[in-house]
Amino acid sequence: MTTNDNKLVTTRRNVLFGVGAAGSALATGLTTARAAEKQGGQVTDAPVSDKTQERQSFYGLHQAGIVTPRPAAGMIASFHVLAETPADVERLFRTLSSRIAFLMQGGTPPELDDKLPPADSGLLGPVVPPDNLTITVSLGSSFFDDRDWLAPHKPARLSRMKAFRNDALDADLCHGDLALQISSNTPDTNIHALRDVLKNLPDLMVLRWKQEGSVPVLPPKPDGAHESARNFLGFRDGSANPDANNAALMDKIVWVPETGTEPEWTRGGSYQAVRIIRNFVERWDRTPLGEQERIIGRKKATGAPHGGGNTEHDVPDYSKDPEGTVTPLDAHIRLANFRTKASEANLILRRPFNYSNGVSKSGQLEQGLLFICYQADLEKGFITVQRQLDGEPLEEYIKPIGGGFFFTPPGPQDESDFVGRTLLQAAGHDVVRKS
Amino acid sequence: MKLKLVLSVSLLTLSAAALPRMANAEVAPLDLVQPIADYKIYVSENLETLVTDTKAFTDAVKAGDVDKAKSLFGSTRMSYEAIEPIAELFSDLDGSIDSRADDHEKAEKDPEFTGFHRIEYGLFTENSTKDLGPFADKLMADVTELNKRITDLTLPPEKVVGGAAALMEEVAATKISGEEDRYSHTDLWDFKANFDGSRKIFDLVRPLVEKEDSAFVTKVSGNFDKVDTTLAKYKTADGYELYDKLTEDDRAVLAAAVNTLAEDLSTLRGKLGLN
Ligand code: HEM
Ligand SMILES: [Cu+2]
Repeated sequence: MTTNDNKLVTTRRNVLFGVGAAGSALATGLTTARAAEKQGGQVTDAPVSDKTQERQSFYGLHQAGIVTPRPAAGMIASFHVLAETPADVERLFRTLSSRIAFLMQGGTPPELDDKLPPADSGLLGPVVPPDNLTITVSLGSSFFDDRDWLAPHKPARLSRMKAFRNDALDADLCHGDLALQISSNTPDTNIHALRDVLKNLPDLMVLRWKQEGSVPVLPPKPDGAHESARNFLGFRDGSANPDANNAALMDKIVWVPETGTEPEWTRGGSYQAVRIIRNFVERWDRTPLGEQERIIGRKKATGAPHGGGNTEHDVPDYSKDPEGTVTPLDAHIRLANFRTKASEANLILRRPFNYSNGVSKSGQLEQGLLFICYQADLEKGFITVQRQLDGEPLEEYIKPIGGGFFFTPPGPQDESDFVGRTLLQAAGHDVVRKS
Repeated sequence: MKLKLVLSVSLLTLSAAALPRMANAEVAPLDLVQPIADYKIYVSENLETLVTDTKAFTDAVKAGDVDKAKSLFGSTRMSYEAIEPIAELFSDLDGSIDSRADDHEKAEKDPEFTGFHRIEYGLFTENSTKDLGPFADKLMADVTELNKRITDLTLPPEKVVGGAAALMEEVAATKISGEEDRYSHTDLWDFKANFDGSRKIFDLVRPLVEKEDSAFVTKVSGNFDKVDTTLAKYKTADGYELYDKLTEDDRAVLAAAVNTLAEDLSTLRGKLGLN
């Protein structure tokens, strides 16, 4: 018996610590597992992260959270704004900005008498970590339309989102006077930020809807290379996004132009399109791989385009494929970007998150894409691209149910400044910069 | 009044030692005796009205007079809603008097679903008093019992003062949506009663807070006024418009006022040195 046992152990060891890369990866995995065992972790110990001190700056020509690399957790919260007068709108903008400044910087909230409700929800502990948080403030078309004194200063391309062909919009998930895009490393940090804003502005903002989302986290690559996260259809999402580190490109694609019909105060701002797009994932998972890849226009595993290239960073050449034999003419990526000289005007910067909300009445998963994109011109950007996509085969698997169009004003220059200041000044409201 | 005596005794048990640092105003525990006694009178008056109104309402139900019962539904509830934080101290009765279908697993069909909203369901959804007799009897009995229990009750000061915020929390959490009176849509009557009940408490302790924090008092009464002005737009000869008449903008105005009142009134206990 003893020999037998030994043999068994040896065999298992051979399997576990077998030669080759797979073997050593497993071995490393085991070592880590043992190390954790040694430390004697308890079931409810907080998971640890060395990223809680990551910090983004709130100040600059542009608001943070647009060209900022997308972290793991995101949220859009949409509000009805009650501030009507210039003074109230200023109080709204200032309070919002000072809360965002604190939350993005992190720090210790004031300690109050214990007979009073605490100043902070406390859900991140007594010292609030920045955790890579950004809060991006955007204004809906109704914010301008409903205020006579602001209406003349509405960004030229801002409109109220209208239903597209495949949409089944739920009024309770659409539009809003003001939207916050909150993103950070963890959903808890986003929720903490939202609760802080709600608590500090109850008289000027009422929450209308919100949608949270996430993107799957990957281990760092040894060569430092980046890859796009996957969406709930299992495809890499973002591969062909324009390079956000290329400032000249962003000036063309994302930030409103300095010349043209846009009011001066919008400089440094951008248009934000938000769409809550349900994915019918059960049905998608029952669709042959080849068909999935034809519908999207890219390979599922690598993200590479059809007919050449092995990586997601390769781009298709449609000039050599006029009949669509390589990339079908109605493939998602082909309709979303014609890749012609003219279609460069329609480029957008996508920053989406995946969402998962529970179970539909029919017992299917309520999940999909919290699609967010930024562009210099809403009509040439999102609206044109979505019209091109109308009728695409992917529609069988997706249903847009909510969202809205917003304008993201320029960022605050420094601590004395606040988001929305240029708009108030344009509207003839005297603003004192407090330093 | 015997009532006042009971109260003073209970308040005196709040000895100085038991009272930690004041959050804000230096309010002596004895300062609260009068406001609490006055509040007890307010509660008693509302209970009296509730008993009388419920009698008329349940009589109409039992007499099979659907129209009359319907017309009495909104107003009958008001005296209950005005003192809800106190009524809720008896959770068994609050459950049988004022629970909603979704508090019960089988919703409208659940045998435990009784009280105002069960009768409301029969009257407004089924447009009938059929089978409502036993619910009417039970409601009358529960309301009578509630009156009896509250008469004998020593009102805990922190519940009274906290009630101002509690009423706003109720509205904020489950009423602003119009889900309370979902069959009759008489929610604005409830709102009015909830706000009045909250304001009553605030007004009673107001002199105690005013000295220390007049800005707070101004802000809170400003928001109560805003609510009154907004609700007044929906006033009709014999009550209020149906909830679906409320415009989206006015609903937002009410929601913001409620959230702000809830936020501000959440500090009221602390400002009065109560735990
Ligand atoms: C649930 C809905 C959607 C899914 C699952 C989805 C998925 C994808 C995937 C897998 C890619 C290929 C990889 C990449 O370049 O990112 C892609 C590309 C793209 N998508 Fe979508 N997408 C959705 C909605 C939209 C919407 C609403 C728009 C804009 C109206 C859009 C615009 C684009 C663009 C512009 C590209 C890049 C095309 C290129 O330049 O080659 N997508 N999408
Ligand atoms: Cu109630």
